[in-house]
Amino acid sequence: MSINGWRGKRIRFNLTKGTWAVEETPYEYRRKWLGGRGYNSEVLYNNVPVDVDPLSPENVVCLGVGPLSGTFGPSTGRVTVTAKSPLTGGFGDSNMGGHWGAELKYAGYEQIILTGKAPKPSYIWIDDDKIEIRDGSHIWGKFPRDADAIIKEELGDKDIHIVTIGPAGENLVRFACTFNDCYRAAGRTGHGAVIGSKNIKAIAVRGTGGVKIAKPEEYYKICSDWRETMRTDPMAQGLFNFGSLILIMPCNYEMGWFPWKNLKYGYHPDARNISGEVWAKKHLRHKEGCFSCAICCGIVSEVREGKYAGDYTGGPEYEAAVPTGPRVGIIDSETTLHNAMLTNNYGMDAIEAGASISWAMECWEHGLLTSKDTGGIDLTWGNQEAVEQLLHDMTYRKGFGDILADGPWRASMKLGLGEEYLTVTRGMSLPGDDPRGLGFGYGLSFAVGTRGGCDHLRSLCCLELSGYLYPGLNMKIVGTEECSKPLTTIGKPKMVYWEENQKAFVDCLQVCCFNTHWSYGCRNEHLIPMINAVTGLDFTEEELMTIGERIYNLERAYWSKMLSGKHEDTVPKRFTHEPMPENPAASSGKVLPLDEMLPEYYRLRQYEPETGFPGDKRLRELGLEDIAEELKPYRKKYIDLHEGKKGAKPQQQPKKGK
Amino acid sequence: MEHQRFIMINPDKCTGCRTCEMACSLYNEKECSPSLSRIRVVRNEAIGDSFPVGCALCSKPVCVEVCPTGANSIDPVMGTGIINEEICVGCKACVRACPFGAAGISYKTGKAFKCNLCNGDPQCVKHCPSNCLEYAPVELTVRHRRRALADDVISKLKGEG
Repeated sequence: MSINGWRGKRIRFNLTKGTWAVEETPYEYRRKWLGGRGYNSEVLYNNVPVDVDPLSPENVVCLGVGPLSGTFGPSTGRVTVTAKSPLTGGFGDSNMGGHWGAELKYAGYEQIILTGKAPKPSYIWIDDDKIEIRDGSHIWGKFPRDADAIIKEELGDKDIHIVTIGPAGENLVRFACTFNDCYRAAGRTGHGAVIGSKNIKAIAVRGTGGVKIAKPEEYYKICSDWRETMRTDPMAQGLFNFGSLILIMPCNYEMGWFPWKNLKYGYHPDARNISGEVWAKKHLRHKEGCFSCAICCGIVSEVREGKYAGDYTGGPEYEAAVPTGPRVGIIDSETTLHNAMLTNNYGMDAIEAGASISWAMECWEHGLLTSKDTGGIDLTWGNQEAVEQLLHDMTYRKGFGDILADGPWRASMKLGLGEEYLTVTRGMSLPGDDPRGLGFGYGLSFAVGTRGGCDHLRSLCCLELSGYLYPGLNMKIVGTEECSKPLTTIGKPKMVYWEENQKAFVDCLQVCCFNTHWSYGCRNEHLIPMINAVTGLDFTEEELMTIGERIYNLERAYWSKMLSGKHEDTVPKRFTHEPMPENPAASSGKVLPLDEMLPEYYRLRQYEPETGFPGDKRLRELGLEDIAEELKPYRKKYIDLHEGKKGAKPQQQPKKGK
Repeated sequence: MEHQRFIMINPDKCTGCRTCEMACSLYNEKECSPSLSRIRVVRNEAIGDSFPVGCALCSKPVCVEVCPTGANSIDPVMGTGIINEEICVGCKACVRACPFGAAGISYKTGKAFKCNLCNGDPQCVKHCPSNCLEYAPVELTVRHRRRALADDVISKLKGEG
C-alpha cells in the first residue's frame, strides 16, 4: 500500500563509527507520534537518560518534519530540532522555518537522528538516497552564511538547502543555535552546541522526489480557500508588510511589554525607532518567505548609512531584534541590526545572548559586578562597545564572556550573585515578552512550558491577544469571551491547556504557528481536513488533540525524571512581585497573578497536586503506560527532596560539562 | 496575438516562498514536488533575492523545433505548450534545448512536461502571496512597467523620492 503524506523513513547516524541506517516508521508509530516534534520527543525520551551530559556523545540530536511538510499547505517547511539541552540540562527543542524541511521530505525522510561523535569536523550530505559523511575541517570556524556558500560551491549545486551551525556551536556556547538557509534559526535551548559537540558543522540535503497526496483535488481546494482567507486577514497582512517587528508599536505604546533593560520596564518613549514601520523604510532589503508560506513575514535587512553601513543579515524578527537592542538598553535601529547580524554570524540564540548581557548589566548597575570581574569591560546600560565585545567573547569563550557563554543562570550560580536579576525559568531566559503586559495566559505558559522559561511558543496564547478580532472563537474553545483580554486570569488555564495541546500537534505537522495559531484562518477546522486529505486517514479533532497532549505529557515526564516539577513551575519574582514601573500603557503597576491560575491548570492537565508530575491515570489514557510505571520511584524522590523545603533550589543539574 | 497573455515577473516582489511550485505541481500532477513544477524559483538566501523562472512562451519555441516525434507543440489559440504524452518518447531534447530551464521530464511518467498556463487560469499567479507574478496581456504589463519607471524617475528628478 502506498503511503500518502509521510515518506515513512528516517536516518539514524552513528557518528562515532561513521555509519548510518535508514529505518522505516511503521503505521502505528506514525499514527501515535504524527511527525516532527512528536517523533523527536519520543526519540529523545527513549534514547537519552536524564543523567546524560548534554555535550557528551551520549546525547542525541533529532531533526524532524511531518506529514504536511513539503506540500501546498500553509508554511510547510518547518523543522523541529530536539536534544537534551546544554542550557537547561532538560528537555529541549526548537523550531525553524526556511526550506530545508521540505527538501528533506523530497529526499525521502521525515527525521534525522544524530548519535555519537564524529572523530573530526565533518558535514553530512544527503543526496536523495545517497548519504555521505564528508570532511568539514575547511568550514569549521566559518559563519553559517559563509559555510553555506562554500558547501554549495563544493557540491556544485546552489539550489540545495543546508543546516549549519556557527562558531558558537563549535565552541560549545550553551545557547548556540542551528540555522538553515543561512538565517533561519531554531534558536532556543542550545542544540547548536550539541551538534558542535558531535563535530558536525552542517547537513546538506538535495531532494528530487515528491510527497504523494491521497486526495489531491480536495487538498488543493482546502489550501486554496485557506490562502484566500489569509490574503484578506489584517494580521496576516501586517506581518507580510512589516514582519514581526510590527509588534513593537502595540507592544510598547498600548500594552506596555517592551523589554527595556532586562525586562525591568515595559515601555520606552522612543520604541518606534525599531518598529516594523520604520524598519521597512530604513532597512528592508528584500522580503523573504519560508517554504510555501502565505504570509512571508521574513525579511533581509541592511544598514545603508553611518558606522554600520554595508551590514546585512536575515531578519531580524521581533524576538531576535529586541534582546541585543532594547533589552540591553539600546534603542536605535542601526545598532540593533548590527548586533542581530553578529548573533546570526556567530550562530547563537539572540534571546539568551541578550539575556546574558542584560543580566550582567543589571548586576553592574547594582554594584554586584565591577570591572575587576568583567576584565575591564564597562557594563553600563546601552554601552554598545561592551555588547559587541561580549558577543565576541562569549562566542570564542574568552574572559568574562566565557562565563556568560554558559547562560545567565549558570553564570549566576558560578559567580554566586545576581539571582534576583535573572529572568529565568527552568534554566532558560524569558524572551522579550513581559507577562505583566503581554498577558497572563502567556505568563502561565512561561511557568509551565516543557522546554523551560520561554515559552511563548509552547502555547502561543494568540487567543488572548487577538481573540477579540474573531468573535465567538474564545466562546467555542474556552467557554468565555472574557479571556480575550490579556490582563485577566479568567479562562486562562483552559486557554493555555488547549493551546499547548494544539501547538504540540501542529508542531508535529511542522506547520508554522503564524499560519495556524494566530487566531486567523487556519485553525483545527481547516487543519484536520488538510491532514486527512493528505494522508487519506480519518483523524478527528479529538485524536489530534490527544496526540498533542500525549507529547506534552511525555516532555513533562522527562522533566519529572529530572526531579523538576511543581516547585519549578514559576516565573522570576520580577514578574509576580515587582509591579510594572509606571508607564502610559496598560501594563502600568501590574504584576502577574500566577498562583491564581496554576491550580486550575493542574486540574485540567491532571497533574499530581503534590509533585506536579503527569498523573498516572492520564498517562495510561494517553497510551503512555511505560512512563506511568517508570515515574513511580521519582515521585517519592521528588517529595523527599522538597519535604519542608519550600522554595528550594531549581532542578538538579549535572556539573558543567568541561 | 497582441492580446496574448503571459506570466509577468516582478522580481523585486518575489519572497522565494515557492508557493507557485506547490500550486503548480499539486494542480497539474496531483503530487507536491518542485521537480514536477512548471515554474521554479531561484533563491539566493544570503542576500534574500529570489527569481521565479517559467516557460517564456517563445514566439519561435526551440523545444518544439527540436522535438523528434512532434509530441511538443504549441496551442494555436492560447500560444501555450502542449505535450502529447502518447508520442513523447522522453528523449529530453526539449529539456536540453530550452535556454531557460523551463522544460522538464516527469519522474512519474518519464515524459516531458511544459507550462500550459493551466488552460488560461495559471494557479501559480493565483496563489502568489506577494503579487510577484501577474497574468496579463503582454502589451498591458509592459505599459505598467514603463509607467512605474517613469513615475520613479520623475519623482527623483523633482526631489520627492
